Amino acid sequence: MSSPFVQAMVAAAAAARLPGSGIAWLDAARRESLDAFAAAGLPPARGVEAWKYTALRTLEQRRYALGDAQAGARAVAPETWTLPGVDGPRMVFVNGTFRADLSALDALPAGLTLVPLSRALAEDAEPLRFFLTRMFRASGDAFARLNAALAADGAVLRVAAGARIAAPVHIVHVGAPTEAEIAWHARCLVELGEGAELSLVEHHAAAGAAPHFGNLLSDVVLRDRARLALTVLQDADAGATLFRRAEMRLGADATATLHALELGGALVRHEVHASLDGDRARFDTRGVFALRGRQHVDTRLSVEHRGRDTAGDALWRGIADERARGVFQGAIVVAPGADGADAKLSNKNLLLSPQAEIDTKPVLEIYADEVKAAHGATVGQLDERSLFYLRSRGIGAAEARSLLTYAFCRAALDSLSNAALAEHLGTRLLARLPIRGED
Amino acid sequence: MATERSDIEQQIRTAVPSGNASVDEALNRRYAAGFVTDIETESLPPGLSEDIVRALSALKHEPEWMTEWRLAAYRQWLTMTSPEWAKVKLGPIDFQAISYYAAPKKKPKSLDEVDPKLLETYEKLGVPLHERAKLAGVAVDVVFDSVSVATTAQQELAKAGVIFCSMSEAIRSHPELVRKYIGTVVPQGDNFFAALNSAVFSDGSFVFIPKGVRCPMELSTYFRINAGHTGQFERTLIIAEEGSHVSYLEGCTAPMRDENQLHAAVVELVALERAQIKYSTVQNWYPGDENGVGGIYNFVTKRGECRGDDSKICWTQVETGSAITWKYPSCVLRGDRSVGEFYSVALTHHYQQADTGTKMIHLGRNTKSKIVSKGISAGKSSNSYRGLVKVEKNAEGARNYTQCDSLLIGKQCGAHTFPYMEVKNPTAIVEHEATTSKISDDQMFYCRSRGIGEEDAVSMIVDGFCKQVFRELPMEFAVEAKKLLEVSLEGAVG
Repeated sequence: MSSPFVQAMVAAAAAARLPGSGIAWLDAARRESLDAFAAAGLPPARGVEAWKYTALRTLEQRRYALGDAQAGARAVAPETWTLPGVDGPRMVFVNGTFRADLSALDALPAGLTLVPLSRALAEDAEPLRFFLTRMFRASGDAFARLNAALAADGAVLRVAAGARIAAPVHIVHVGAPTEAEIAWHARCLVELGEGAELSLVEHHAAAGAAPHFGNLLSDVVLRDRARLALTVLQDADAGATLFRRAEMRLGADATATLHALELGGALVRHEVHASLDGDRARFDTRGVFALRGRQHVDTRLSVEHRGRDTAGDALWRGIADERARGVFQGAIVVAPGADGADAKLSNKNLLLSPQAEIDTKPVLEIYADEVKAAHGATVGQLDERSLFYLRSRGIGAAEARSLLTYAFCRAALDSLSNAALAEHLGTRLLARLPIRGED
Repeated sequence: MATERSDIEQQIRTAVPSGNASVDEALNRRYAAGFVTDIETESLPPGLSEDIVRALSALKHEPEWMTEWRLAAYRQWLTMTSPEWAKVKLGPIDFQAISYYAAPKKKPKSLDEVDPKLLETYEKLGVPLHERAKLAGVAVDVVFDSVSVATTAQQELAKAGVIFCSMSEAIRSHPELVRKYIGTVVPQGDNFFAALNSAVFSDGSFVFIPKGVRCPMELSTYFRINAGHTGQFERTLIIAEEGSHVSYLEGCTAPMRDENQLHAAVVELVALERAQIKYSTVQNWYPGDENGVGGIYNFVTKRGECRGDDSKICWTQVETGSAITWKYPSCVLRGDRSVGEFYSVALTHHYQQADTGTKMIHLGRNTKSKIVSKGISAGKSSNSYRGLVKVEKNAEGARNYTQCDSLLIGKQCGAHTFPYMEVKNPTAIVEHEATTSKISDDQMFYCRSRGIGEEDAVSMIVDGFCKQVFRELPMEFAVEAKKLLEVSLEGAVG
């Protein structure tokens, strides 16, 4: 018997009127995805390696309504999304629904196309067919299947070949208070043509208590020589459940960077799967999670080196305080023939409370011999000597701890080239850090 | 002849023509321990049922409680399924086609009565059973297929109060000790293969070191699978009482056969207060031929428990054999300030697969663990390190350091690292480092320019790569391990 969560989703799907319905291939793909989701349900508590550290038992028992009928009318103050250094085109979704009134899509720079998925489907669905007919068949892919069946909107972003978009594009997902707990599913497509350049900010924010279920699935394609700077600020409501998954493909000489700061949410799963298909493709990632309360944040990073002379450098930091649990699963895969791959992964964590837990699993899978691959992971606490040094300079214990913790995390954000944004992320991070009394 | 070699060997050979007859010979050298000893064996018919378990227990004249213990394990096994999470490919195993007991027909009373053919076998393997035993100061318990055939140096050990005998004998003469400790580290239902072993284990070694005794010599067991269509399910139990000290060595070989034979052993170590156990393994089961046909499935559950404060368990393993090696010698660090160590060299060649590593479970305060793992992959093999370091809530001040290095020889092999770190105590420090590399052209060029042949150069570089682990092996084992690595790597680089 399927769980309440699965039942509610399947029932909602039957009643849902999704954009683009009536397009035969889309209907078929949605149906197939839903059937697969209904048949397999959520990953079981044991036996699926990808879900080893994230139990879904509580989620299984919850019933969410699909979408928010009033989303178009919910008041959301601009402060919710305003970010320093991010003043380009903006697309705002409230509880999964596109809000033209809050977005800034007029006068897009030449070479940039940015439309909501619902409109793209109404105008010309065919170019989206390749993405929207993808099937997610692996055993741990329940949420991607669910998204493929139920995504009602999202962003479709294209940068024409050779176009360099100077101002960062801002895509905001706002959780707003509702009468009932709701679920939203959004699908984003990002495509950079040959030699195109883009800076993109994915932003999760809350406009009040919004313990919703959010499910975001993104496909990101970089053609040859394209460059993407992606920043993710996850500052969702403390009660939110958020599943995000990005699938990235990089062509020859393409470069992508990812900076991620995870602060909010009660149960968060953040997956990034990158495939470095082209020769000399490069993908550098930097990420921080800072958790407290009973937060559970599970980051899963997988970078597959397929082309020759590809590179990837991953540097992730995590801190868990109070009763929080932080999980990092990072995999570097070097496919047969991917000679010249240079892959590094570093994951360091601070455990700040006796009730908190950190689980880390850095994996190397190497099938080629001309490679440089290394990873390191640590779990520990602040260095007592550094603390002593600061105390001896007259800095209080709590402040000294915060300073050191901040410095520990900040290393992952330093390489962000948007200085104003980096500064803001630093401030947000510092505000979240535990200030503890004298011990 | 040429078709027997993998493509990559061909490539390398074409790139750097050796023109050397000895290299050619080395390339085609066979598994050196792959002979079959032609002696009569007595075995149970193939198949597994409660009757077989009872018959096996009866054959060994076991007390009622042991029979019941086996049956409980068997019933539990029936409810379990073979795990699938390891990074190994294997076909289904037909547990009904295996014979669960095979013993040489002539039961020896003393070393002199041991079948000369058997002794010859050990001679070929270089087991120091007779004279060399005394010279090397080694007491050997030899397990041939399923039963322990001879134990040397019993008297000297008895003087020190050490019990070193076969498991069957221990069940008969020291039932209270066996009953007290068996299954306390690896319970009957621990996992699929441990449950199978608990039901049908045939023999193995039993070691008991009394309080305060430092075992006067290295204890050693040699395992050999001889008969076809059999499995080997030995069970080893080592108990080190307060303040005692023991070093135990185990070696394994098997003849060449086209079938895949199953070896599912269980090893349990118990270290009480201040006790130290050092367990060293050189595993050279038949790895299958260069096309991946035949070879041993080595699915072993090895676990030690540092039950007392200040105790220490050290696992050292050199794994060169077996078609599939799937094992994780582990330490449960229950006592305060207890120490767990794991040193491993795993080499895979041709179509061999290894998924091996360790688990360090920190329960006590100020417990320490250290893991050094060296994986070498050649041919079309797959070599994975999988390790868990777990720090539980009460393990104040726990400390772990893990280092995993992989060396790739050739383009068609795989080297993987799957470390798991689970930390629930904020005073713990857990560190993991891993690297993957290949033998560099610079290193090779340097050696070659000094007139060192290719094979020798590879073997020197591999030896250097493994040094950290070999240092932990008892001397005579270190020599054997080094040789084994050389032999196993022959043909890896043309």
